[in-house]
Amino acid sequence: MATVQVSEAEKVYILHGVRDDLRVDGRGCEDYRHMEIETDMVSNTDGSAKVTLGHTDVLVGVKAEMGKPRPMVPDEGYLEFFVDCSANATPEFEGRGGDELGMELSNTLYKVFNNRYSVDLKSLCISPGEHCWVLYVDVLLLQCDGNLFDAISVAIKAALFNTKIPKVHISEDEEGGKEIELSDDPYDCMRLNVENVPCIVTLCKVGHRHVVDATLQEKACSVASLIISVTHKGTVTCVRKVGGGSLDPESIFEMTETGKRVGKALHAPLMALLQEEESLGKKRQKVGFLG
Amino acid sequence: MLKSKTFVKKTRSGGIMKIVREHYLRDDIWCGSEVCTECKQEETVLQKDACIESNLCSFPHYLLPDTNIVLSQIDILEDPLIKNVIILQTVLQEVRHRSAPIYKRLKDILHDKEKHFYTFTNEHHRETYIEREQGESANDRNDRAIRISTKWYSDHLNNTPTDKRLKVVLLTNDRGNKEKAEESGLLTYRCKKQDTSVTSVPQDETAVLTSNEITSSKVLFPEHLPLSRIQSGIKSGTFQQGTFRASRDNYLEATVFVHGEGDDSTEVLIQGLQNLNRAVHQDLVAVEILPLNQWVAPSSVVLQDEGPKEDDVTEEEEAELKSGPSGAASRKPTGRVVGIIKRNWRPFCGMLFLSQIKEATRHLFTPADRRIPRIRIETRQAATLAGQRIMVAIDGWPKHSRYPNGHFVRSLGSAGDKETETEVLLLEHDVPHQDFSQAVLSFLPKMPWNITEEDMAVREDLRNLTVCSVDPPGCTDIDDALHCRDLPNGNQEVGVHIADVSHFIRPGNAMDLEAANRGTTVYLTGRRIDMVPELLSSNLCSLRSSVERLAFSCIWEINDKAEIVKTRFTKSVINSKASLTYAEAQMRIDDANMNDDTTKSLRGLNRLAKILKKRRIEKGALTLSSPEVRFHIDSETHDPIDLQTKELKETNSMVEEFMLLANISVAQKIYDEFSECALLRKHPAPPPSNYDILNKAAKSKDMVIHTDSAKALADSLDAAQVDGFPYFNTLLRILATRCMMQAVYFCSGMDSDFHHYGLASPIYTHFTSPIRRYSDIIVHRLLAVAIGADSTYPDLMDKHKQSALCNNLNYRHKMAQYAQRASVAYHTQLFFKSRGILNEEGFILFVRKNAIIVLIPKFGLEGTVFFENKDKPSPKLIFNEEVPSLTVEGHSFNMFDKVKVTISLDASNVQHQKIRMSLVEPVISGVSVAPSEPEPEVKRAKLDR
Repeated sequence: MATVQVSEAEKVYILHGVRDDLRVDGRGCEDYRHMEIETDMVSNTDGSAKVTLGHTDVLVGVKAEMGKPRPMVPDEGYLEFFVDCSANATPEFEGRGGDELGMELSNTLYKVFNNRYSVDLKSLCISPGEHCWVLYVDVLLLQCDGNLFDAISVAIKAALFNTKIPKVHISEDEEGGKEIELSDDPYDCMRLNVENVPCIVTLCKVGHRHVVDATLQEKACSVASLIISVTHKGTVTCVRKVGGGSLDPESIFEMTETGKRVGKALHAPLMALLQEEESLGKKRQKVGFLG
Repeated sequence: MLKSKTFVKKTRSGGIMKIVREHYLRDDIWCGSEVCTECKQEETVLQKDACIESNLCSFPHYLLPDTNIVLSQIDILEDPLIKNVIILQTVLQEVRHRSAPIYKRLKDILHDKEKHFYTFTNEHHRETYIEREQGESANDRNDRAIRISTKWYSDHLNNTPTDKRLKVVLLTNDRGNKEKAEESGLLTYRCKKQDTSVTSVPQDETAVLTSNEITSSKVLFPEHLPLSRIQSGIKSGTFQQGTFRASRDNYLEATVFVHGEGDDSTEVLIQGLQNLNRAVHQDLVAVEILPLNQWVAPSSVVLQDEGPKEDDVTEEEEAELKSGPSGAASRKPTGRVVGIIKRNWRPFCGMLFLSQIKEATRHLFTPADRRIPRIRIETRQAATLAGQRIMVAIDGWPKHSRYPNGHFVRSLGSAGDKETETEVLLLEHDVPHQDFSQAVLSFLPKMPWNITEEDMAVREDLRNLTVCSVDPPGCTDIDDALHCRDLPNGNQEVGVHIADVSHFIRPGNAMDLEAANRGTTVYLTGRRIDMVPELLSSNLCSLRSSVERLAFSCIWEINDKAEIVKTRFTKSVINSKASLTYAEAQMRIDDANMNDDTTKSLRGLNRLAKILKKRRIEKGALTLSSPEVRFHIDSETHDPIDLQTKELKETNSMVEEFMLLANISVAQKIYDEFSECALLRKHPAPPPSNYDILNKAAKSKDMVIHTDSAKALADSLDAAQVDGFPYFNTLLRILATRCMMQAVYFCSGMDSDFHHYGLASPIYTHFTSPIRRYSDIIVHRLLAVAIGADSTYPDLMDKHKQSALCNNLNYRHKMAQYAQRASVAYHTQLFFKSRGILNEEGFILFVRKNAIIVLIPKFGLEGTVFFENKDKPSPKLIFNEEVPSLTVEGHSFNMFDKVKVTISLDASNVQHQKIRMSLVEPVISGVSVAPSEPEPEVKRAKLDR
């Protein structure tokens, strides 16, 4: 993970600030940085979104492809994750530098999102046991400025919201062979229900308190952090501790409570925003990558 | 300005892909009108005084047709009267998508400067480009695009000075579209109105053309019934099951052979595209017999699918079909195909028929076999594949498609190439000709191979005998050798030694299965396709001279009158003293100075053979004749240089005689031992009607041929001689050959009639050529079991398996024969190609309704001289079926008449090159041609290089 060098004096300054609920950039402990979201960025994906959180910049594209359902769950589709840590994001990713992080991120994302409680996997099934949609979620890190998990999760939720899967129906020919037929109308497509898709809130233990959306400097002062995925109802679906230090049970409990509160508050404006953008339709002025 | 076009497509592998294309809009697309002052165009197409004499629009106007108008009224648009038409890109694309021939015609009109047709690329124009809206179908979107463009045009032309103002008239037959257009203030007419108002267009033409809407998704064929219903239908007798055989001459006609109980199989005639219902040659289909009043007679017209008509159902041709002879007597059971029980698709060889649209990826493929329909394939490499022989496999035949869909399998090479043509020939005749697989080769004996002690222990040692072989020159797979010696008791011992192939090929292994599948070695001109790997066929099994070889020997004790006293069979080891050719053997016999053992043995054999032959002929064996040719092949180019008919020497018949004797002896032995599962060969007597043509032919020379028995036939053939016409007898024998049935293998347990008609033998089999025939291998195994030299195995004793094997062998033999004939025909063509045009004498072999078939003895070549020609008025022809004779402009042709013809190669159709013959003598004005000059010497010199 991208790190910065922080001197002892700086550390003390940050720690004291957090203790007084005033962070270096003026935020409170439970405040996010400025966040920008744009969907439908990449035309050759089925759904895409770009999220900018502070200087962290991630792009998520969703491609729907036809595949065979997993044998254990023949009536469900599934999601696949791939995180590409491009060297654009930080020089450390050069060569194979980003692979490990990429693996870690995609494994976590798989755990968080690929389950029937987050995404309605049954709706991805075309014909049980034979065909289903496989959603390939590709995450591209464009810039790292801390709090990757949160940014990625928001971007995934937005991209899934934006995803349009072409409608197909199965027709049977005279020999009993099944053929997949594609709708003629490009607007005739299926949308995913993203209501239950969780968002990840990362909480960093800084001193005795914990902060959300830590910058790189704050991260450098933290011993351990907790990632919590929370649905819009405030249900915690996944908790993971990352980082080298240890957390005492009491603070874990406190952090989970904070995570629930923050996560719940995150969903409502996000959905409102996405719906608003959607309602603009074609009239929307696209910002793109250069804007 | 950049837009992106997005659409979803199904890939060939069944996946679904989203495709995004960048679409650039521009504002420098001009309107193409002469009157326009705004557009900065250099050239204009549309005239300023655009006026069609029309009582509907008296003002000057441009026409703007929509897609359906173009598709249905292309003939009107082609009329020279119609000028100044705007064709939108949208329309052009739709037309291209829906009908290639009409697209081609439209493109031609667009290129015609006189017509003043202008293509407006509205899809790239900033002001006329529209995106498809939600809930809008592709068609609606295109209609809207057409309306928007019309609107743009009328607004655009309104900006011109008032005195020159022109209007744009949208032509559409779609009521909805018309209403919408009129709402937005556009001048719209239906095409019918517009046309009738165009005063100078003949009325009747418009009437014809207003109908006939073309829809690509139209269902052309009735649905096939599901298998369950077919089965119940067959059980209840409403449907019949049979093999579908398409007609070679008429693509709208086919017959279905319905196999009834026992021998009574009926033929059901199928006529018309709908009734044929997507069945392909050799499919197993279910047919429903039509009611009696719908029965028809087979048509005698030759119809070939011309291809590019695409989906226009060939109604006229079907009408023509029905107008054939419809006398009640000639009517046949007629039916229609209701379902396919089993497809018999294989990859087909043929050539690509390029689409008229240059950049199109869908093309029609024309198979070499005329009975197979054209196949539509998708390829991007059409340009490279044109002119090549390719293989295509059929994938399916949807009910709304005129042609089956297929895919490109592989290229065989460029057409006309000798290698390629041979490959095509082998593939088309289903001759397995791949190299032997590793699994097969693994069963070959390890080299160096030697005869072991164990072999010697169970075999008779005949190495001291003076055995020799007599074969055609250049033969490497020698499977028979002979010996003859005097016995002390005054009798003679004659031995026929056959290569012991069954020693090397053990039952059930990969090599055995491969050989059983191949069935026979195929000899083509200049190439041999082996049944067993070369190591065996040309080395270990081949009974070459001065090497020790394993053999299966049949040894007789024969007395002076050539009567068999004793017969025995044994596995043996021999050492052939000489491998001779027929000519060499003949020379030895004739040369009185030669008195070595080999020669003496040959003389003895020859003497006995003559007696045997005489006796056989007395019993009624037929001596038939067929013109066979051999090519002299250039050793480097492998082109035929010269051809000659095969001639037969005494030694040929000497070897033949002993082979027959061995075959008959073995047949008797294996039948005695295994009455249920002996593999035998029979030749059924032909039905009397087969001899009709022979009788008529003889009658023309005042002779009578008795056909009641083989003996009578043989005698009357011998008696039939015409003074001064020595070739007559040969011709008669050639005809007699054509009357014969096919000889077939069968399993003795499955049949009761064993008689061999041609050889006049009550029982017969094949024993003497195990290297090149699988039947002989089986016979060897049976015989080996019979004499206790080998053990049996289950399949050998199973008459049903044996019978199935016979069927395959018969099929392979037939196909091998066809392939050989085709190979000879191809080389004959090559020969005549290099020779240019020749004048030769020939004899009329058959007389047909509109042609005579001529045989050229010199080349053993048969050809047809047609008296009807497409581009010439046909001469007066009177055909008398009784004689038969054909009278052409007063000159009558009878069978066996001597004629002179020119021979040339007709290469107009690359796939079906043929020898063309035309009459030189007798001279009939308007029919015969002048004799051509003999081929120039220069050409010859070139060839002899």
